[in-house]
Amino acid sequence: MLSRTINQSKMMLVIGMMILVGQKISHLITQKPLVPLGQSFLGILTVLVICVVALKLKEAFPKVKFPAFAWATMIALILSMPFMPTSKFFLQYTGSVDFLATTTPILAFAGISVGTKLTQLKKISWKLVIIAMVVFIGTYFGSALVAQFVLKMQGII
Amino acid sequence: MKENKQPVDPFTEATKNSSALFKLYIIVFIIVIISELIGIKKFAVGPGSVVLLPMLYAVIIGLVITPGILGKYIQSLKSLVSEEVMEIAGIMVMLSLLPLGVKYGTLVGPNIVKVVQAGPAFLLQELGNLGTVFIGLPLAMALGLKREAIGATVSICREPTLGVIGERYGINSPEGTGVLGTYMMGTVLGTIFFGLLGSFAVNTGIHPYALAMASGMGSGSMMTAASSSLAETVPAMRDTILAYAATSNMLTGVTGLYSVVFLALPLSNWLYKKWEPIFDRREKAKGSVNDVK
Repeated sequence: MLSRTINQSKMMLVIGMMILVGQKISHLITQKPLVPLGQSFLGILTVLVICVVALKLKEAFPKVKFPAFAWATMIALILSMPFMPTSKFFLQYTGSVDFLATTTPILAFAGISVGTKLTQLKKISWKLVIIAMVVFIGTYFGSALVAQFVLKMQGII
Repeated sequence: MKENKQPVDPFTEATKNSSALFKLYIIVFIIVIISELIGIKKFAVGPGSVVLLPMLYAVIIGLVITPGILGKYIQSLKSLVSEEVMEIAGIMVMLSLLPLGVKYGTLVGPNIVKVVQAGPAFLLQELGNLGTVFIGLPLAMALGLKREAIGATVSICREPTLGVIGERYGINSPEGTGVLGTYMMGTVLGTIFFGLLGSFAVNTGIHPYALAMASGMGSGSMMTAASSSLAETVPAMRDTILAYAATSNMLTGVTGLYSVVFLALPLSNWLYKKWEPIFDRREKAKGSVNDVK
């Protein structure tokens, strides 16, 4: 149990490094004001601690079928609600981690992992390719149209 | 019945093979650096614009270097991105999603009042996911698919749907083939597709908030692709867009499974029975023309 947690923490640390390096580069080329390194370190550490807690919560409640991703969102959501005493410092720390910088490593891993499925994919007929595209469009615009209608009714947009 | 088989723990599997894990880290580090160096690119396309994000380059580079594509021609690449490396990458996706999950939480939290106010819209737009059945099913049947059509169009076919169809019909059934098809396409092309659609959809005149809600489809990576490209296109609404998308995605995570079991699947089966004779007749008509020839 403990060695498992240590392993997970190590993996999360590497991911954290990737996020920091990616963020530094993106700030350099867009000439954004650089966040002091110490501050972004604290920020990413705060984020990583929540990630490990989320993993542990998922393991502690296997019956709930709540993915670790959802746990992570839930914890951060609660800690950052305006009426929570934690919100100010929590948002200040996590604010030094860019949203977009967290997305790049994920999709790099995702791209590589799809490699195992390429042979399977070649067997799927072109018809299923077209259908999948239409399914994507169907769910996206189906939801968007309903949301548009209801948000209008509510006077939010 | 007793469960004898201990499920293989992915983390221990991954850490056991430390050389493959190390290789993967180096590869992904390089991909991240290259992708961030290219940076965000905006293109004017027709009336609107398309935003290309580093994550889009990352998924494409990652895919291209696998043995199935470039590895076929470059021997050293093939040995670098080995079968084990790709396996471990699948586990790392799950872990690397977590920091993003935290960031999404920090976007929803401060906006919690706004999100609760929009509650009815959140709940009702979940029904919009049935759009897959209304548009997808007739198209699939028109293309000549039989029961595969049901699996392929019952939803956007992420893991929960895979589970439902697999349990009810078996994954080797026609329905199973259909659901796997859409699932695989989603895994390979989903993020690229939604990364482009997310920024382009603004041109349809649908409000960015509505599009943001639509981005939450029950897939973390597709939601991210759709909502962050949307947010980059309409930067003034960035925070609300990301908060809405994250909330909608969480909600779909909860309701998605039930919506497939109790709404989408019965609806598809009912529509299939209704439409089958129509498409069958067309098929037969075509067949007889061929016979005459």
